[in-house]
Amino acid sequence: MTGVTLSDVEKSFGETTIIDHVSLEIDHGDFAVFVGPSGCGKSTLLRMIAGLEETSGGTIEIEGRDVTEVEPAHREVAMVFQSYALYPHLSVFDNMAFSLRLARVPKTQIKAQVEEAARILKLGKELHKKPSQLSGGQRQRVAIGRAIVRKPKVFLFDEPLSNLDAELRVQMRLELSRLHRQLGSTMIYVTHDQVEAMTLADKIFVLRDGVVQQSGTPLALYDDPDNRFVAGFIGSPAMNFLDATVVEVTPTGIVATIGEGSEQTLAAGLDTATLGKGDAVTLGVRPEHLQFRAVADVEVAGESRRDVGVRTRVEMTENLGGVAYLYTRMEDGQEVVIERRGERQTQRQESITFTADAGHVLVFDQQGQRLR
Amino acid sequence: MAMIKAGRAQTRPTAAKWVKVGSSVRRRRIERRLLLMLTLLAAIIWIFPLYWALVTSLRSEDHVVSDNAGLLPDMFNLAAYQDALFNSNLLTWYVNSIGTSLIITVLVLISGMMCAYALSQMRFPGRRTLYGVVLASFMIPSQALVVTQFVLMSDMGLVNSWAGIILPQLIVPVVIIVYKQFFDAVPSEMREAVLLDGGNEYTLLFKIYLPLNWGITSALAIITFIMAWNQFFWPFLVTTSESMMTIPVGITQVRDTFGVNYARVMAVALLGAAPVAIAYLLFQKKVTEAVMISSGVKG
Repeated sequence: MTGVTLSDVEKSFGETTIIDHVSLEIDHGDFAVFVGPSGCGKSTLLRMIAGLEETSGGTIEIEGRDVTEVEPAHREVAMVFQSYALYPHLSVFDNMAFSLRLARVPKTQIKAQVEEAARILKLGKELHKKPSQLSGGQRQRVAIGRAIVRKPKVFLFDEPLSNLDAELRVQMRLELSRLHRQLGSTMIYVTHDQVEAMTLADKIFVLRDGVVQQSGTPLALYDDPDNRFVAGFIGSPAMNFLDATVVEVTPTGIVATIGEGSEQTLAAGLDTATLGKGDAVTLGVRPEHLQFRAVADVEVAGESRRDVGVRTRVEMTENLGGVAYLYTRMEDGQEVVIERRGERQTQRQESITFTADAGHVLVFDQQGQRLR
Repeated sequence: MAMIKAGRAQTRPTAAKWVKVGSSVRRRRIERRLLLMLTLLAAIIWIFPLYWALVTSLRSEDHVVSDNAGLLPDMFNLAAYQDALFNSNLLTWYVNSIGTSLIITVLVLISGMMCAYALSQMRFPGRRTLYGVVLASFMIPSQALVVTQFVLMSDMGLVNSWAGIILPQLIVPVVIIVYKQFFDAVPSEMREAVLLDGGNEYTLLFKIYLPLNWGITSALAIITFIMAWNQFFWPFLVTTSESMMTIPVGITQVRDTFGVNYARVMAVALLGAAPVAIAYLLFQKKVTEAVMISSGVKG
């Protein structure tokens, strides 16, 4: 059963299109994440599902029911806002009971539901307090509790962790994940943080300029992006993109030189031969898929052009303990980030060469579309 | 030796420096005293009419108009107060003032907050224009409207009635503007949360926006009440019967066959001002806040 279905949904303000004919399906019980840069329309899309924004076209269905023209209160959704939107003059109990009182639920039932939600969220001792007396994490939990008591079909989260410090964010991410497993409800989460998307999502929808660029599981987007935008957005540090020219086409892929007039090459695997010699492409390779050696260690004589790799100079090293990132710059100015594990030797200003397995090198055309 | 001398010169102030510091302290002391004297003078000038009214009200009428009446209180005669309470319509005027002021306060606040809420939170054609009209109404002096208002009240048969006193006084743009400012400051996500929780516009106004702004409501209630209580011009025009007059208007009626009885007039004036003065003493902080809020808007 589908949880939420959007069919050809669009949103325009005058001549400006915010959401451009978006169609997507979220399965019942899934944790779906809308991710993208600021201004991509992810929050607008979420608000349209909530009913807080009207659609300019298309339909929205929640568990098979068309809710496009339905008031927000009758869509059986609950939303957790970025700023929590708690009622500051009401206690935690009253905040969580607010919607139930409006629905004229009996007092005993209100008490039971609120206390149950408080137990799940470990807010039992805070029920009598006002929001101003709570920490950021506690306020966030009250906001979630206010959503839980309504027993909605869909939970909507609009960047709920962005106001928290880094440590608390990690903690709350785990709690959200735990909550999802416990409740089994459909959840739609909006964030600009691709780390949150990767760690929380069953399915990610990457948006850009009001269009869904790609949807899929986190690892599917990570390993098999459809275009350069998704490839660069998912993954931290971002994928390296190198301007290249095809010098050889083989049955299994291509060989391309990096930089102009260069003999340095990388091989990339391709299923279909859509490229010819001399075609300009962009090669994408993740920092962890690059292998490097110091130039001093390279034995040039007798090695094929393919084995030498691409020369670059280390400008800066970021040591994070178990892993380090080398920020390098090639002679033609292209920047490459290489992941290094284990060894802790600083390599500032050292010349190195890097290679990668053809299977890990992705090919994009000049329009940024992935070639497979 | 020269170096040591130079070092000593840097660490110990010279006599000239001490004189400079001393004269600066003395100058500040003189300035403070001058300021205090000026403030006291201003306070005396301000409070003198009240003092004189009190002193006059405690004198006999003969003494008031005699040449011997001095600045200092020389009598404690309550006859004027007895006269004011039992031989005039003061109690009726009290009832009229309290009744009309309370009704005006309640109606102004209710209509003001609802208008402000609509202007702040609802979207409809002409919203901005309507708010512009509210702002522009500040520029129209109430005196310019009295003829039209009187004709209206007369045509509706409301002259010499509470309704006639109250209705034209329900237009208080400052209440709308202040409420709107505070409603604008409530985060929009709170409104959306209420809508998702199943609330409507009335829920938003009475369960969220108002409770968040109780301080403003009480401040506006106080200034509205004081304004209504002190209102003279319109009640003076619309009431001709003494039994419908409010206190500010009633004071002008305090006379007998022999002319004005100053002691009694002062007694009536002081008794008329007493409730507001007591309210001010009790709610001083709120009144100050209210005045600051309305001044901020007008300024």
